[in-house]
Amino acid sequence: MTHPGMAMFLLRRLLHALLTLLGVVFLVFVLFNWVGGDPATLLAGKMASAEDIANVRHQLGLDLPLGSQFLLFLEQVVRGDYGESWATHERVSTIFWTRLGPSLTLLLPLLLLQTLLSLAVALLVAAWRGSWLDQGVRVVSTVAMSISLLVYIIVGQYWLAYVWGWFPVKGWSDSLGTNLSTYAVLPILLGLMVSIAPSVRLYRSFLLDEIDQDFVRTARAKGLSETRILWVHVLRNAAIPIVTDVLMGLPGLLTGAFLLEHFFAIPGIGREVIMAVERSDFPLIKATTVYVALATLLTNLLGDLLYRWLDPRVRLE
Amino acid sequence: MKGRLGIRIRSIVRRSMLGYGLMLCLVAAAAPPKVLHVALGSAETGFDPVMTSDLNTAAIEQQLFESLLTYDYLARPAKLVPRLAAAMPEVQEGGKLWIFTLKRGVWFAPDAAFTEPRREVTSADVVYTLMRFMDPKNRSPYKFLLDGKIVGLDERAEMARRTGHFDYDTPVAGLQMLDRYRLAIRLKATDYNFGHAMAQPMMGVVAREVIEKYAGDTASHPVGTGPYRLGRWMRGARIQLLKNPNFRQERWHFTATNEQDQRLVREMEGKPIPSIDEIDLQVVEEPQSAWLSFGKGELDILGIPAQFAPLALEGDRLRGDWRARGIRLERSVDPSIAYYFINQEDPVLGGQGADKVALRRAIFLAIDDAEMIRVMAKGQAIRNAYPIPPGVAGYDPGYRSLLNFNPWLANRLLDAYGYRRGRDGYRQLPGGGELALHYTTGLSSQDRELDEVMKKSLDRIGLRFISDKRKFPDIIRAERQCLIQFRLSGWVADYPDGDNFMQLWYGPHTHENNASCYRDATWDRLYEATLTLPDSPQRDALYHRLARRLELQGVTKVSTSPVRNVLSQPWVMGFKVHPILPSVWAYLDIAAEHAAGRAP
Repeated sequence: MTHPGMAMFLLRRLLHALLTLLGVVFLVFVLFNWVGGDPATLLAGKMASAEDIANVRHQLGLDLPLGSQFLLFLEQVVRGDYGESWATHERVSTIFWTRLGPSLTLLLPLLLLQTLLSLAVALLVAAWRGSWLDQGVRVVSTVAMSISLLVYIIVGQYWLAYVWGWFPVKGWSDSLGTNLSTYAVLPILLGLMVSIAPSVRLYRSFLLDEIDQDFVRTARAKGLSETRILWVHVLRNAAIPIVTDVLMGLPGLLTGAFLLEHFFAIPGIGREVIMAVERSDFPLIKATTVYVALATLLTNLLGDLLYRWLDPRVRLE
Repeated sequence: MKGRLGIRIRSIVRRSMLGYGLMLCLVAAAAPPKVLHVALGSAETGFDPVMTSDLNTAAIEQQLFESLLTYDYLARPAKLVPRLAAAMPEVQEGGKLWIFTLKRGVWFAPDAAFTEPRREVTSADVVYTLMRFMDPKNRSPYKFLLDGKIVGLDERAEMARRTGHFDYDTPVAGLQMLDRYRLAIRLKATDYNFGHAMAQPMMGVVAREVIEKYAGDTASHPVGTGPYRLGRWMRGARIQLLKNPNFRQERWHFTATNEQDQRLVREMEGKPIPSIDEIDLQVVEEPQSAWLSFGKGELDILGIPAQFAPLALEGDRLRGDWRARGIRLERSVDPSIAYYFINQEDPVLGGQGADKVALRRAIFLAIDDAEMIRVMAKGQAIRNAYPIPPGVAGYDPGYRSLLNFNPWLANRLLDAYGYRRGRDGYRQLPGGGELALHYTTGLSSQDRELDEVMKKSLDRIGLRFISDKRKFPDIIRAERQCLIQFRLSGWVADYPDGDNFMQLWYGPHTHENNASCYRDATWDRLYEATLTLPDSPQRDALYHRLARRLELQGVTKVSTSPVRNVLSQPWVMGFKVHPILPSVWAYLDIAAEHAAGRAP
């Protein structure tokens, strides 16, 4: 693709992204005002008078006409400043960036390990398709997928941390090293037990689709080793759906893994978002939704660019 | 010769003593810090007392800040005692004038906001602290403690609402600084409970220069006079409290009121307050995680989550293997009530017609409180039919409810007032219309259990049950708008006086916290009479009449009061559950052997 063509493509995608973001902003605003509950009744305290509730609504700007509230929201999105949390008075930006660290400490290694291990196992079983190993992995994957993360957490925390004492039951520190070596290990392990099985099955099917292609037969006819065929030819051609799968998981990093954070007392963004929803803490809900939407749009764009890089035959239009 | 030998011996002894003393000092200096590990069931919400609304934050503020009064650690029922005040206030003019004298030499914790090396608390700080509650910008959830009470303060708040600026500089008539340490608070009407308001942790005194220096972020900069100050703070995860270096010399001295307390007195008498160097607070929202952590010894104190009570207890006692480990169990009835209310303005259930009253009483009679205790509280609650719970002034242990579980009587009542059963087995209105009860609950799994218990109750008397599911904020809003038909609600004492509970049915509190929207002139008149009385047999008699009238008119059924079970590790010394104080960490100690890393 020529440079002007690429520029046009990027421009078009950015315009689409802007419109999508506007739609998301509008949808969040409508949903909050429709089903979000009235935060003022909670924030005013349990013995608040109607006057107190009105004062809270005034302080939060909830007494403004809906149109003005929406314009204020748009202004916040443009400025990237969502004010302070209605529940804790902490700056939303501070909440977001301080809670994102623990979530990423947990989820980045999880995503990385999940991708690498799934790919390794999928390659292995794809190479020996139909063997006892393939059958065994399929059965184990199906069983693993059938069990809820909650069960893994409850059982894992009880046996691995409490009874056998291999890990701390819960906790978090302000040191990245301590978190990675001590507190995040069990949550990552339990997270892997759930996430690895569907990925293995998915990647296996991607790889098998490619293994049956003519170019593999040709490569074999040319006398290439099975290892080279698998790692270079098959994997490269299966890369696009695999990359898509990985990229789809990236925006989820911004919302954290609520259950893991909740059980292991990890101060991540997932737990914070759930608390924000419970408290009708709209500024934090707004910020998270917009950031997740932005991340999704950006990863989609990144995905398209990666497809082109992985397979020059792909046309970006 | 003898003299020289004597001098040498004395010199050797002196040197040895000096050396021994030095060694002791070194050992003392090297003594490991005593750390108390405690779990918080929900995240803190910032540490500006005026903005506080949740119990966990209040528990921390109890240690960071000090109010004028507090509650005696051991006395039961809870008894007011001075904290920042040098003595109990002089109450004059029939409860309208309260004169407080502050302790001298009380210093705020060090902070960059202060120009002087040590900043003493004065009566001006108390006035400033009280004014902040009425500043609309602070939207204080505990403003009700001062609302409509202090002469001139409401007018100042009104002016702030109009102008957008609260005037802290012009004196308020009802807040008079008599001198640097004396303060007169003049109330608009008699209020014998004002002392309780002055004992709330959110009434912790702050310094104006600190609030102004950190304006906009005061919740992140707590500077008080309490025994602890804020150390490292990982928001929503871990909070470290360290000894406040400016805290005055205070010694543990409380009077035992029972045999169990005597052990505490023996353990703790004369020890400095605080004795523990550091409080390590960990936010652990999941009960299983807290439970397992305590079992591993990672936490020192733990309130047993209701779902774990069957695992932890054998009847009323701690299970044997935990007792053998030296773990202690503290049980006490919480100063709170769970009560059913029916909206008196509801078109189906409301009104004072005999048929409506009979219907409401029948509904209450069909509720099996024992089942509620067994299923919902896992046995950790008591049947309490009185609107004022045990441990709160005004409680009547001899009260006999008219609404105890009796489905036979409920059916008789409904039959007598014409609520006939239709072909489907469910009763209809006396005129023949459909009768269905909308029972409001939240969205949690526990709420689903509540639905099941209520459906079973109503099936007993042939009333159709409809579940009305809402999010908690929506429930509160609907309650205030008198749109909830029927619900199980709860109330926890803000202060240990019956008034804090009886006001729940006061007519003028409709659209506030009178969720049953009950307006009865006779009831209101009797209630208003209680306000002019101190805690006394006369007031108790009036409370009794009020409680009875609520039952007779089928307004409410008080069902249970929960039992609190708190565990402490064997190395925790001086621990006793307090019904009102949200935290008691400054009164505790850790066995030195444990702090040194050995078993106690």
